[in-house]
Order: sequence, then structure tokens, then C-alpha cells
Amino acid sequence: MSRALRLALLLIVVGCIYLFLAHPYWFPSGVSASSASIDYQFRIAFWIFGALFVVGHLILIFVLSKKPQTGSKISHGSWRLEVTWTLAVTIIFFWFNISGERLWSKIMPSEKKAGDIEVEVTGAQFQWYFRYPGADGVFGRTDVQKFAKPDEGNPLGIDPGDPSGRDDILSTSMVVPAGHTVQLRLRAHDVIHSLFIPAMRFKQDTVPGMEIHSHFTPTQIGNYEIACAELCGMGHYRMRAVVRVLSEEEFQRWIKAQETATASH
Amino acid sequence: MPIISDRVEVERKPKLGGGGPGKIPHRRGYGGGDDGDHGNSGDFHSREQRMRRYRIGMTLCIVSVTAVFVLLTMVYVFRMGKGRFDEDTRRWVRDWIPLTLPYLQLWINSLVLLLSSLTLELARRSMARKEEFAAMGIVPPRFGRDLPWLGITVFLGFCFLAGQVLVWNILRAQGAFLASNPSRSLFYILTGTHAVHLVGGLVVLLYAVAGRLLAVRFESQRIAVEVTGWYWHYLAFLWFGIFALVHFARG
Amino acid sequence: MITPSIGSTGSTEKSFLRRHFFTTDHKAIGRGYFFLSLAAVLVGAWLSLLMRIHLVWPRATLPFLDEIKPEDYLAHLTMHGTLMVFFVLSTVPQAGFGTFFLPLQLGASNMAFPRLTAIGYWTALTSFLVLMAAFVVPGGPSGAGWTQYPPLSALASAGPGQGLGTDLWLISIGLFCLSSLMSAVGFVATTTRHRAPGMTWLRMPLTCWSWFVTSILILLAFGILLAAVVLLMLDRHAGTSFFIPGGLLISGKAINHSGGSPLMWQHLFWFFGHPEVYIAILPAMGVTSHLLSVFARKPVFGYKAMVGATLAIGALGFMVWGHHMFVSGMNPYAGFAFSTLTTAIAVPSAIKTFNWVATLYGGRIRYATPLLFSAGFVSLFITGGLTGPILAQPALDVYLHDTYFVVAHFHLIMAMAGVFAIFSATYFWFPKMFGRMMNERLGRWHFWVTLFGAYTTFMPMHLLGIAGHPRRYSELSGVQYVAAMAPLQKFVTVAAIVTLLGQIIFLVNLFRSMLNGPVADANPWECSTLEWNSQISSEGFSNLQPHVNHGPYEYNISGAEKDFVMQDAPAS
Ligand code: HEA
Ligand code: HEA
Ligand code: CUA
Ligand SMILES: [Cu+2]
Repeated sequence: MSRALRLALLLIVVGCIYLFLAHPYWFPSGVSASSASIDYQFRIAFWIFGALFVVGHLILIFVLSKKPQTGSKISHGSWRLEVTWTLAVTIIFFWFNISGERLWSKIMPSEKKAGDIEVEVTGAQFQWYFRYPGADGVFGRTDVQKFAKPDEGNPLGIDPGDPSGRDDILSTSMVVPAGHTVQLRLRAHDVIHSLFIPAMRFKQDTVPGMEIHSHFTPTQIGNYEIACAELCGMGHYRMRAVVRVLSEEEFQRWIKAQETATASH
Repeated sequence: MPIISDRVEVERKPKLGGGGPGKIPHRRGYGGGDDGDHGNSGDFHSREQRMRRYRIGMTLCIVSVTAVFVLLTMVYVFRMGKGRFDEDTRRWVRDWIPLTLPYLQLWINSLVLLLSSLTLELARRSMARKEEFAAMGIVPPRFGRDLPWLGITVFLGFCFLAGQVLVWNILRAQGAFLASNPSRSLFYILTGTHAVHLVGGLVVLLYAVAGRLLAVRFESQRIAVEVTGWYWHYLAFLWFGIFALVHFARG
Repeated sequence: MITPSIGSTGSTEKSFLRRHFFTTDHKAIGRGYFFLSLAAVLVGAWLSLLMRIHLVWPRATLPFLDEIKPEDYLAHLTMHGTLMVFFVLSTVPQAGFGTFFLPLQLGASNMAFPRLTAIGYWTALTSFLVLMAAFVVPGGPSGAGWTQYPPLSALASAGPGQGLGTDLWLISIGLFCLSSLMSAVGFVATTTRHRAPGMTWLRMPLTCWSWFVTSILILLAFGILLAAVVLLMLDRHAGTSFFIPGGLLISGKAINHSGGSPLMWQHLFWFFGHPEVYIAILPAMGVTSHLLSVFARKPVFGYKAMVGATLAIGALGFMVWGHHMFVSGMNPYAGFAFSTLTTAIAVPSAIKTFNWVATLYGGRIRYATPLLFSAGFVSLFITGGLTGPILAQPALDVYLHDTYFVVAHFHLIMAMAGVFAIFSATYFWFPKMFGRMMNERLGRWHFWVTLFGAYTTFMPMHLLGIAGHPRRYSELSGVQYVAAMAPLQKFVTVAAIVTLLGQIIFLVNLFRSMLNGPVADANPWECSTLEWNSQISSEGFSNLQPHVNHGPYEYNISGAEKDFVMQDAPAS
């Protein structure tokens, strides 16, 4: 029985190691400014805790195979050992913790720079809307309850009476230029949703009744999927959108096209 | 017994893991969930045990009730300070409409509650005096001077509740309904929760009052009164806490 | 004057009703909780099966059931989580085994407040029935997840099941809070007042310690949840706006609430919710510590360290709730504090792990089924726990939050580890609870299936999470990169089905042994704690007075004639 148990544990350890080395599924390649450092932190994490997992189980297997001690040597515990391993894990955990805090303080704070792209993201059951301030760089005021008419292309309820809203550009996919920081205004007008862009290593809930500011910096041209990561109802699983990262000039062209389109309305 | 335990004391040297040094065995607690009822109910010692047990229980209830009220207070303060997010100006604006409290009524209620606390204490004392008789199995006599304090307490308790209802009516007459503004909601929540807990206390007191009819053992009555006493005083204290909150943090 | 007053056991009553329904005997109540949890776990596990099947074969129709719709999936999910967390893991290890064995292990004849304990049980049962009722009401059960975030949970128009189903969920949980509070009061009072003479704090078995600390957590946490639930109810029906903000437009209808904060619910819920997960695991830890010592025939390694760690976990448990809210919109700077505190709480857990391992070291190990499951617990706790500190980092959790990585984390450390402790406790205490032994061979088979089942089911979920697969997706077709993960999801489903089939072995063993297993003698495991005292009558200890002279884990002490010393053996 003892041998069987040890064998089973060994099998499990080997199996888990294999699973993570083979990893049939893994991170999508990171395409935002901060993804490199985040992936690095992940690598550290998996190596440290993977090692602890293996060591832990090997020790478990070892103690299961140990010969019984005899009466007098039976141990009730030893403060020396307690202190040693407590210090050991404390050092490991907090070293890891501090490196994580460093990373967080690097990627989290947002200061607006010239050339940043402003996008307002609105989550609604079960659709994402992306709004650009347009030529005047000002978002028009909205009142969903009064003006929202999804069928007439005004799902966000932009106030027709507000001039700064006339040139706002509305899109169902997020179009951004590579290399510019995207400053997001996240909102929702029914339930909580969560804007999840795996390729950007980005996630942020959109909470009704408040406006959350966040940011990321796409670095590579391409299309990347957005998924909704907060349970928002039966359509949660299909609340999908796409980030289209364009080159500088393509983006300008797109903006122009949109502006003329909205103007013609 | 003590001799053995003394030997335990000297012989077993402190050991980590083995359960530590054997202290002098605790004599408190016969280890019964029900001592006091199993044969030896007459014995003073086990009566003490029951009393202690219920005191502990009550302390625990108070701890958990406190947690709830601390939380509600935090919600109150947070909600008052934070306000709501205004879509147009895009900043947080205070939407807290101060409540005009019916102070007269509130003070009367406070007074009533305070009085009830007092009478309950008197009830407790008079019962404590009768204890010995009960122990001897003699039906305790009525001392001339002591009034039916317990009854009076219950009465005052109901008066307080009635007073609270009055307060709520006055507010509703002002058009201050539960849903009309966070200040209203939280006032009703705080006072309401307090009232509910008070009702709990009243039920136990009623049990003690009706004890004679229900043929509840005197000693159980006494415990009920003693322990509810703590709870009752605590609720009075809590009431003034709430009063202070809604007064000073009117907004 | 002689009518029984508050506190009599009533187990002396002979009438059937008295014995089985109005009994205040802690043993009967403990057994009651056991069967309640068994019922809950069967429903919960069945729901998980339906979820798994729907997830990978959305169009599959099972016999007797028609096709599962996405909203059904969410309903199943919510009920699964609720049943498993509240009615299984917060019920059987604490209220179940605790009510049964706490008084016995302390040398008391009953819980301190037998009637309160009994009322607690009936409340829990009612709460369970109320929750089950949601299956038959129009719209079905709530689909807002076990965390019930508003506005989704606050507005009936937000989806099917958000009407009556959610009301029932809230009522049921409210009742459950009351029941837990009632039983917790009894636990603490019993532990503080009714230890037999000589049962000093440091002679209490570690099971009692963890039941004690857990009860304190319950007293502080469940009141909070109760308050939160009441507030949410008011938002739903009395028009208040604690959690519902203004200007909402749901399925074309304007909602006229104003100024509530959805985040406030999250704070309230997780301030309860994190202590809750330790409420779920602490008794399991206690059982494991106890059993490892018994079956390694060796004192628990570092008893005092264990007690200290238990207390530390209890205290820290209230300071880390924010780690569930890193991307919720809470002030991102709070992330620093919560991250550090969460890392801190991992340390006492690690201390426990080390002590378990050290307890096994050099023991004369007896490989009975309870030991196997306890060893499995240690393995699963390490595996599931180690992903915790990773999730505790805002920078990493931003990516992992609400993905299957989290699902993997809590199924390994909570679900599987917790269930393993339940199993080991069942196999271990079965002789005391039902007077018979369970079958060892079936027990072993059950262990092997469940151990490998647990790992094969939940290990791959890490990869799903790492690849960005969000939680609570009722179908994979909605998002392309998620759809690509179907093969691995299929694998998980198959593994889950096998694991669940493996549980049949357990159920067969359980009921067969209950009816005609070999009759157990007083102390089949040669365990030193009081509940195995051969003199216990159906009255518990009420008639004899155990006098405790020894620590709880005196195995293979040099100089003793047997290889263990009963706690109430005369002092050497
Ligand atoms: C029993 C339940 C339980 C337990 C014990 C834990 C334990 C821990 N949990 Fe977990 N957790 C949950 C249940 C539990 N969790 C649940 C249910 C959720 C999801 C809720 C939901 O959203 O639905 C969750 C979610 C969750 C999150 C949020 C994830 C997210 O939603 O984004 C976080 C983040 O910090 C977290 C952290 C931790 C940590 C740090 C621990 C630590 O306590 C872990 C400590 C343990 C160890 C560190 C292992 C010790 C072993 C070693 C150190 C090995 C070394 C040994 C040798 C070498 C011999 N948990
Ligand atoms: C104790 C907690 C527990 C347990 C045991 C389980 C068991 C299982 N869980 Fe569960 N699960 C949760 C707690 C638990 N889960 C929670 C909290 C959630 C989150 C809900 C939410 O998001 O809102 C969740 C969500 C969840 C999901 C995520 C769905 C999603 O996000 O889209 C999935 C998906 O596969 C899943 C699968 C399973 C499976 C296959 C099993 C099992 O079937 C595995 C095999 C089962 C067993 C081994 C149990 C048998 C045990 C016994 C028979 C005990 C005997 C009892 C007595 C003796 C009294 N669960
Ligand atoms: Cu939107 Cu989930
Ligand atoms: Cu947590």
C-alpha cells in the first residue's frame, strides 16, 4: 500500500510536470507594452511554485518511505525546525510578493501623454461599444434612459442636443494605432461586464454607475479578440469583440472615414 | 482527584506536541451540556455552571450583533461621504438629503429604554435575593417592597417599540420613506435592525414572566433574566450609538 | 418544577418522534447534518455533471432531460457553487462532524445549548429545501453565480432566474446564516465551558481547536452576509438603492434607482466570503492533522505551532478580501495592501503543510483508507494552495481573474482537498457514528479513482486559464480562441464523469456498511482521544466523569505498555 501510494504521487507529479512542459494551450503571444514584463513575472511564478510543488510532493513521498522511528526518538516537534521553514517560505513568498508589487506599481499608474488615444468602452448585455471623441476631442453627454435607440444607431444614448456629441465616432470594434497608449473610459449601463483582452494582458471590469479609467499600449499590428470576463447573464459567453491594431496612417485614414460617415448622418 | 492532578503537574515535563504541560485540571464544567438538570440540579455549583454557560452564549451573540452594526455604520458613513456618480459633470456628487429627526420622540424613547434597563436590573436583583429559597426548594415569597419589575420592564420594552413605530410614522408623514433617499434607507435599516433585536430580548423576558404558568424552574427564569439583562443593557447602549450616529452624521 | 428546562439532552426520551425529530442529542443532530450534506453533495455533483456535458456537447440531450440551454447552465452553475460551498463544505466538516464529536472529544455529555443546536439543524434543513424549491419555480434558479453580484442579482429583468429564483436563493442563504450562527454559539460555549476536568486548552485535539476557531469566524462573518442579503432583498423589493446605481437601462427598460454602488456588495460579500473559504477548510485541516497523527502512530508534529497557525489563519482571514476585487474597479492602490496581506496568510498554511509532512516522518504508518485520504488532502492542499500566491498578485491576477485558472485553484484546494477530508473523516468516524466498519477494499478503490480523478479533472483547467478561458461560459462557441480549447474541455469532462462514477463506490460502501458492515468494537483505530473511550454510553459522558491526564496525541511514548495512551488513562 505504501509503495502504491508513493507511486501514485510520483505519477501525479510527473504527469503535472509533463502537462506544463507540453502545455497544449498557453498564453497568446503578448502584444502590449507591459506584456513582456508580465510574462516574465509569470515565468518566475511558475518556476518557483512549480518547484515548490515538486519538492513538496517529493518530500511527502520520502516521508512515506521512511523507516519507523523507535520509541525514544519519537519527536513531538522542534521549534528550531518550525522557525527554519517558516523563515524559508516567508522569504520565498515575500520576495515573490515584492517583485509582484514592483511590477504592479510599474504598469498600473496612468498619466495621460500627448498622442494618447481616448476611447470610451461601454459594456451592455451582450455587446461592446467603443466611442471616440471625434474632431473636437470631447465626448458628448449621454443619457441612456432618455435617448438610447439601438435600432437607430444610438445605443449609448448620446444627447442629440449636445454639439460635442455630434462628431463622436461609435464603433463595435476597438480600432487603435500601434505604439500609442490607449486611455480607456470604461462604463456599463445594465450590469457588470469585464473587458478582457488576453493578448494585451489586460482586464478591467466595467461597472454601471461609475466610470473606470485604465490604459494599455498595443505594440503590434493585428486583430485581437476581446472576451467578457464577468458574468453578465445568459449571453455572457458570446459577448465578444475585436481590437484592431492599425498602423499610424491606416488609423488616421479610418478616423477620417468614420468622421465623414458620422457627418453625413 | 486533585491529588492525582497534582502528580500530573509534577511528573509530566512540558512537551511540545504532546499537549503541553498538564496544568491543574480545570474543575469548572462537569463536562455536561446539561449539568443542572441531571439529578444534581439542586447543587449550587452546577447552577453556577449553567449561569456561566448562558453568559458565554450571550456574550457570543453580542459579539456577532456588534459585527453587524459596525458594518451598517460603515455603510452609513461610506454612503454619506461617497454620493453618486453624475453622468453629466462626470464626478461624484453628494446625494445625501439630511433627515429632520423627530428629536422629542427620539428622546422620549431613549428615556423609556433607559428606564427599562434600570427596572430590569432591579428585577435581576430581587430574583437574586430569592435564589436561596429556590435552592432549598421553597417557593420564594414576595417581598413587600419589590414591585413586579419584570412585568414593568416588558411593558417599557413594548412602549419603546411603539415609540419607534411612532418615529417611523412621523418620518413617513414628512414624506421620508425607506426608498426616498439613502439617509432615509439607512435610518430605517439601523433603527429597524435594532428593534428586531429588541423583540428578541422581549421574547425571552416574556418567557421569564410567564415562567410561573409554564412551570419553568425558578432557576431557569433567573438565568433568562440575568442573561437577557446583559443583552438589554447592550441594546440600550447600542441605541445611543445609533442615535449619536444619525445625529452627528446627519450630513 | 420538574419539567426539563433549557439544556436537557432529551436523548433519554424513548418515543420515536422524540428520538428522531425533536431530539436535542448532539449525536442525532450530527448525523442529521451528515445526511443533509450527503443530499446536497449528490445534487451538487449531479449539476456539475450536467454542466460539464453541456459545456462540451451543447446539443446533447440526456435521457429524461431535454437539451440544456445556456441559461440552464448558469442556473446549474449557481446552484452547484452554492450547494457545495454552503451545504457541503460549511456543513458536514463543521456542523456535521463537529456537533457529533466536539462534546465527545472534550468529555462533555452534549453541546452547551442542545436546543439551540437542534433549532440550528432544522433551520439549515429548511434553508436547503428553500434553495431546492428554486428548481421548480418559473424562471428556474438564479443564474448570477454563487457570488450574486448586483445589478445582475438585484434586478428581475436582468435575466431568467433573476426573479423568484434569486429571491429564494437570498432567503435560503439568510436562513443558512442564522443556522450557522446558532450552531457556532453552541460550539464556542461548549469548548470554553465544558471541557472535562483536566482537558486543558493544550490538551484539546486539533479537531476541537479548528472547530473552535471556525466557530468564531462564523460568528463574525455570517452576520455580515446576513446583513448584506437583507440589504439586497430591500433593493429588490423595497425600492432602496444600496447596490443599484442610477440611469440603468436593462433590455430596453429604464430602471429608476439612484446612487447605489455595485462595488459595495462585492466588499460586503468578500468580507464574508474570504473567511468563509477558511471556514470551509479549517475543520478539514483539523481532521487531517488528527488522522495523520493517529495513523502514523506518532504525536502531531509541532502541536503548538499548529494551534498558532490555525489562529493566525483565522485572524488574517478577515484582512484579505480585496484579493477577489483587483479588477473590480476598486482603487488600484488598495491592491498593494491586499496583495501583501494575502501573501502573509499563505505562510501559516505552509506551516501547517510542513507539520503534516513532519508528522508522517518516521511514523509507523498504517495504510488504512482514512490515512490514504488524509495524505491525498495534503497533496491536493499543496497543489491547490500554491496557485494562491500567484493569484494574490494584482499584476498577474489581472490576467487570471475570472478564468479557469481560478476555477482550478479553488477546486483543488477547496473542493477536492475539502472533500478528501470529508471522506477520511467519514471512513474514520463511521464506526462511532454507525457502529460498524466500512469496507477497506472498496475504500481503497474509491481513493484511487478520486485521487487521479481530482488531478485529471482540475489540473488541465490551469492551462485553460493560462490561455485566457473565462469562467462561467455556458458554451465555447461564442469566442474563437475559447472555441479552440474544446479538446481539452472534452478531456476534463471525461475525467469528471469518471470521477463522479467513482463516487458510486463510496455510496455503495457507505450504505452497505451502514446496514451490514462488520460490527465495530469500541476503539478500532486504537485512537487516544476521548470519543473512543469504551465507557461512553448513549448518554455520552453524562454519567461517568472522564478525568483527562494526557495530551491528545500520545502515541509510541517510550515506557507506555500499549503504543498509545488514552487521554483519560490514569496519570502514569
Ligand atoms: C478552502 C478554500 C480556499 C483556500 C484555503 C484558499 C487559499 C488561498 N487562496 Fe483562494 N479561493 C477560494 C478558496 C480558497 N482559497 C475560492 C472559492 C476562490 C474563488 C471565489 C470565486 O471567485 O468564486 C478563491 C480565489 C482566490 C483568489 C482570487 C482569484 C480571482 O478571482 O481573481 C485569490 C487571490 O489572491 C486567492 C488566494 C488564495 C491564497 C493566497 C490562499 C492561501 O491560503 C493558500 C496557502 C497554501 C499554500 C501556499 C500551500 C502550502 C504549501 C507549500 C508552501 C508547499 C511547500 C511545502 C513543502 C515544500 C513541503 N484565492
Ligand atoms: C466544495 C465545493 C465544490 C465541489 C466539491 C465541486 C465539485 C465539482 N465541480 Fe465545482 N464549483 C464550486 C465548488 C465545488 N465544485 C464553486 C464554488 C464553483 C463556482 C460557482 C460560480 O462560478 O458561481 C464551481 C464551479 C465549477 C465549474 C466552473 C463552471 C464555470 O465557471 O463555467 C466547473 C466546471 O467544470 C465545476 C466542476 C466541478 C466538478 C466536475 C466537480 C465534482 O463533480 C468532482 C467530483 C465530485 C466529488 C468528488 C464530490 C463527491 C463528494 C462526496 C460524495 C462527499 C460525500 C459527502 C458526505 C460524506 C457528506 N465546478
Ligand atoms: Cu458581459 Cu459577461
Ligand atoms: Cu479569498
